Amino acid sequence: MNCEQLALLYEEYALGVLEGEERAELETHLARAGDKCIAGVAQARWVVAQLAHAAPDTQPPATLRGKIMDAAKPSADMARGVVPVTKPKASEPKAMFPAWAWVAAALLALMTGYTIRQINNQNEQLAQLRKQMKLATMQNQALQNQLDMDRMVAMVMMSPDSTSLKLMPKDKNMPMVHAYLHPHMGVAITADQMPSMPAARTLQLWFVPKSGKPLSVAIFHPDATGEIALVAPVNMPRNEIAALAVTEEPAGGSPQPTTAIAWMAQVN
Amino acid sequence: MERILQRDSAALETLYDRYGRPVYSLVLRIAQHPSSAEEIVQDVFLQLWRSADRFQISRGPLEPWLFTMARNRALDFLRLKREKQRRREHSDSDILPSAVVRPDPEGDIDRSRRAEKIRALMTSLPEAQRRAIELAFFEGMSHSEIAAATGQALGTVKSWIRGGLLRLRESLAEAIS
Repeated sequence: MNCEQLALLYEEYALGVLEGEERAELETHLARAGDKCIAGVAQARWVVAQLAHAAPDTQPPATLRGKIMDAAKPSADMARGVVPVTKPKASEPKAMFPAWAWVAAALLALMTGYTIRQINNQNEQLAQLRKQMKLATMQNQALQNQLDMDRMVAMVMMSPDSTSLKLMPKDKNMPMVHAYLHPHMGVAITADQMPSMPAARTLQLWFVPKSGKPLSVAIFHPDATGEIALVAPVNMPRNEIAALAVTEEPAGGSPQPTTAIAWMAQVN
Repeated sequence: MERILQRDSAALETLYDRYGRPVYSLVLRIAQHPSSAEEIVQDVFLQLWRSADRFQISRGPLEPWLFTMARNRALDFLRLKREKQRRREHSDSDILPSAVVRPDPEGDIDRSRRAEKIRALMTSLPEAQRRAIELAFFEGMSHSEIAAATGQALGTVKSWIRGGLLRLRESLAEAIS
């Protein structure tokens, strides 16, 4: 089917009723589709989401609001805590030298090496600008890659075909890791407030089969802010996956887990 | 959303005041279990709180994002519950309390109009077609599952759902444009 024919299926896809070849063909198309198709699916999701209004209007329990706000409070407090407090600058001491001394010093500087310094400064500035430009290009590329990855994560998270899983930490002080298992687009992993890791270690995600050895899915690190957001391909049939597990491994990952499971979720 | 990104908890309160009720209504309709619905709604709003930056990147309006997340979470719960029921071979005795319908003076006018349109549209659909769409949206069933549940031919079910979604799109055309 071409782009226009597939566009007729967007609402059914968003509703989650498509199956078999139709769904696989549409998802394959979306995985490499342009902005127009992505926008078409987004609009279809909006249309289908409106069906939520067909549910009987029900007042939530009065306590629910408080529970949500209590759960959000620690990170709000933390965010407030990290806002840098700008201290008033102490007043600069006033110059102690008389004006004639400054004039003499300036004249001396001009006579001894003004031209040479200017050339050196310009060369240094040029080298500095080149370094900054190279760094900016690299940062831009990294941001673009992150943006692409975050879009993929958002697509998997929002897909009606994704199964949401919570990987519970063995260590109660560690945060929970969320996984969204999609049959075609892959498995999205998200987490925040993760502790930093030494460069020599990495986290590794495994599919634990109902029988046999765990299969490595991806290796990853929390970023500088402690967040994880990635999508990895599903390399095992969905009905054979018994659990998702994360272990800490040496940099580069291991063929099989070498440490105890740090996070795990059963797949039903 | 900017304020959510800055971890302004007052912004989360505002969002909950605006969307908490329709999200809870949707989740309760799917999950059919008040305490689980409460847990799912809490999870959805905290997901929004935690993943606001990812929502920004997806560049869509907030409401469908929230509804989609809520629906997916509630359907996950429903599937899990059905699987457990199937394994244990006993039925859940939780009873859904009758829905409390009240006016929503704080709700957004556009949203209220859209909600009215959706309800009017669903009421206007033939019973079988409405049932097929409800099974898809609130029960998470696929074309073939709906065909099996209703005893209708697969082609008939596809035609009902496609026709219903087309009418839904047409009724919301003004809002889309």
